[in-house]
Amino acid sequence: MISTDPVLRAEKLSRSFGYRPVLRDVSLELRRSQMLVLVGANGAGKTTLLRVLAGLLRPTSGTVECSVRVGAVTHDSMLYPALTARENLRFFARLLNVNDPERIDELLELLGLGTRGDDRVQTFSRGMVQRLTIARALLHRPQLLLLDEPLTGLDASGRWELVERLGTLRADGAAMVVVTHQPEALHDVGTHLGRLDGGRLLALEPMGGVDA
Amino acid sequence: MREYLRYALTIALKDLAIEWRTKTAFASGLAFAILVLAVLFFSRDPTAVASRDIAPGALWVTFTFAAMLGLNRAFFLESEERALDAVLLTGIPRSAIFWGKFLGNLAFVGAIEAVSLPLFVLFYDIVVWPYLPSLVLVIAMATVAFVAIGTILSAMVVRTRYAELMLPLLLLPFLVPPLVGGVQLTARLLDGRPLSDYLGWLRLIGAFDLAFVTLAAVLFGVVLDE
Repeated sequence: MISTDPVLRAEKLSRSFGYRPVLRDVSLELRRSQMLVLVGANGAGKTTLLRVLAGLLRPTSGTVECSVRVGAVTHDSMLYPALTARENLRFFARLLNVNDPERIDELLELLGLGTRGDDRVQTFSRGMVQRLTIARALLHRPQLLLLDEPLTGLDASGRWELVERLGTLRADGAAMVVVTHQPEALHDVGTHLGRLDGGRLLALEPMGGVDA
Repeated sequence: MREYLRYALTIALKDLAIEWRTKTAFASGLAFAILVLAVLFFSRDPTAVASRDIAPGALWVTFTFAAMLGLNRAFFLESEERALDAVLLTGIPRSAIFWGKFLGNLAFVGAIEAVSLPLFVLFYDIVVWPYLPSLVLVIAMATVAFVAIGTILSAMVVRTRYAELMLPLLLLPFLVPPLVGGVQLTARLLDGRPLSDYLGWLRLIGAFDLAFVTLAAVLFGVVLDE
């Protein structure tokens, strides 16, 4: 066991848009090396939950406590299409105080974009944008990763590589919440499976990944 | 403080790099400026109205609407792929984001003005050399006010459905005081009036600069909340 202190604790989170409740009383705790895989039908509140956990959306009620660096991948790339891959990473590295000059090249290589670093993002395929989005999220070596459909747009080998990478990050101590419609792809690395239904988080089930 | 300034400059330079590469806002702002200057110039009856009489108004109408094109674009860069979310996730102070966007917008509007001013001199046959430093000061002061308020309003409206329509609707009422001040000061400068004639309007624009910049910097964080 690396540490038993939760890196993320959410209590009784609710969020409404107007009069429409999207999240209802969601509570969860995540410790280091745990990966919560979240599934649910469209509109169940998965993306809203992730945005609330990331601090991008204020909950209507409830609290989120997070004690570590957070990296996030959402539906949108959160990149600037007119800039190159390297310029995007350099921009976010400066804001994140990442001073390691090798880090950008290392991530571009790691995600198979080593030869496209100086190309504008607007010339990238969907899969390449997704890889770069993941590189951006990993820039500052986050200890908590919030990933919304990270496998979308990746080909079979890209999916396999990413799952393996997530497994390595988890083994190194990173905690993760992964929203996906393909929970089977994460069966070996996920530690808990959560199902959101009508904005409520149903009981968590264990997954194949070993909870360190 | 150095770190804070570095964040703001990083954001401003990123905006300018994107504009330099795409040139969309600058090109449309400049085309708009030339069009307005020309239309207003040729719409007057030269036997009844001297070009000098409409010059101050023409100059400020040109600056205002050309700048609005750039202000509209400032937060579209951030909303296009929700890159602003990634900036917020970095945890930098939200006011640093404001200063970054403000500086970027200021540079953009300043560039439009720097190119439009010689065109204005050319069209309206006005000798500005004797008053150039004072005119530049007036333009700079009025520009600070409307870029500050424009920056926060463009952040507010960017998530609305009709953002491009909303920005001018919300912005124009706020622009009336600095804009009227700019027109009045420009007219007085071109008439070669004594300094005592300017001070009241200069103080007014200075007060609006202070109020708009302070309010915008303080309220920016709230505006970014969804």
